[in-house]
Amino acid sequence: MQLVWGVGGDPTEEFESVALPHLDTLYRSALRLTHNRAEAEDVVQETYLRAFRSFHRFNPGTNARAWLFTILRNAFLNRLRHAKREVHEEEATGDDAAAESATLASEGDSPEDEFFHTVLHGDVDRALKTLPLVFREAVILTDLEGLTYRETSQVLGCPIGTVMSRLSRGRSLLRQALRRYAREHGYLRGRE
Amino acid sequence: MTCQEFQLHRAAYVDGELGVDETLAAEAHVGECPQCRDLAEQERRFRLLLRRQPRESAPPEFRARLLARCHQEARWRRRRAWLIAVTPMVAVAALLLALLMPGFRASPSLIPDLVAAHIAYAEIERPAEFASDDRAQVAAWFQDRAGLRVVVPDYTPAGIRLIGARIAEVRGRRAAYVLYEKGHALLSVFVVPAAEAEDRLAGRPVTYRGQAYVTEERKGYRAVAWTDGLAIFGLVSGLDYEALLECADRLRQARAGEA
Repeated sequence: MQLVWGVGGDPTEEFESVALPHLDTLYRSALRLTHNRAEAEDVVQETYLRAFRSFHRFNPGTNARAWLFTILRNAFLNRLRHAKREVHEEEATGDDAAAESATLASEGDSPEDEFFHTVLHGDVDRALKTLPLVFREAVILTDLEGLTYRETSQVLGCPIGTVMSRLSRGRSLLRQALRRYAREHGYLRGRE
Repeated sequence: MTCQEFQLHRAAYVDGELGVDETLAAEAHVGECPQCRDLAEQERRFRLLLRRQPRESAPPEFRARLLARCHQEARWRRRRAWLIAVTPMVAVAALLLALLMPGFRASPSLIPDLVAAHIAYAEIERPAEFASDDRAQVAAWFQDRAGLRVVVPDYTPAGIRLIGARIAEVRGRRAAYVLYEKGHALLSVFVVPAAEAEDRLAGRPVTYRGQAYVTEERKGYRAVAWTDGLAIFGLVSGLDYEALLECADRLRQARAGEA
């Protein structure tokens, strides 16, 4: 915090050039995690302030995107912990989704999804909301924001193998939800 | 590569996460197995569907606010670095003053009391003694209950909802306590009658929209306080300083409007 700031150019400018290019991707992900604009803005602002305060620990040339996502995730989880009610909600939806997927197990995991072209605007976000947080965050980072397995494992603080299994589970739950919506929209007939 | 082996690697293959050798083996397999090729194609289309979701950008006004907040943080840091250098001199001066003036003794600041009250009420399920999101009702309740004329500002444009009121005790005095909520974060607004001459607000002085405030961060909460007429006003919350100062400014404006 002290002398490091004196080195090189203006630290604020340096920080902005490293961190600001990632604002949109962080904002989108925060929105998908919180489902609420005001909260997403709070989480992103907190992320930037925390990042700014610990910028002296950031190694130039290392992965700024993964670093920022890690801070964002911590800020989000912290808020969840503070708002205990919401954590319970998360756990509840986790149970629901698990129960739901058990009943749908017969539909299997195969990607033969002829209904993809019938997915309507907003369906993916709606389906994402039904995913338990551990799967949702893996899918958001890798599939929606395009992080590599390695980057995602860095952000989630778990091995790459775990990222892969969470992705697999998350994608499968997502497909099941989308298939359900397609059926609701009348594009897909119920199967026996 | 057999079909079974390919199934194991299919997701990583589509994600482009296989090593060179595995990729080549997978490609060779897809070249000769129409079923696996088909499955990989379906998988790829699913990825594209996800990748092609609307890519919303952060709203420009949010971007501007965020930048301003980062600049403010940078200014505070510079000021703090300067303060650290000056503090020992101030301490010596205060010590001299205390020695020279035997009667001189600074009373503790009021802000820690407000933060402690905020924490105490933030932990209970229904912190409001009188629950209402109607500003007029809350003001009437203070009038009936304690004969206090309290201005209850409207923070709804900032997504901050009024949840009610209570009478709090601060330093043995009855204080008006208005409670708001943003998400699950509690915002406490205290109005403490400034009867005593020794009331002191210690903290970092801040000027916001031309008005002077004292701010302090304690136990993970932020407080913004000021003295206005015969009352001390204190806002405490987990919200950031900018939100708190904005709320403080609105409260001042609402009071000016009523006067």
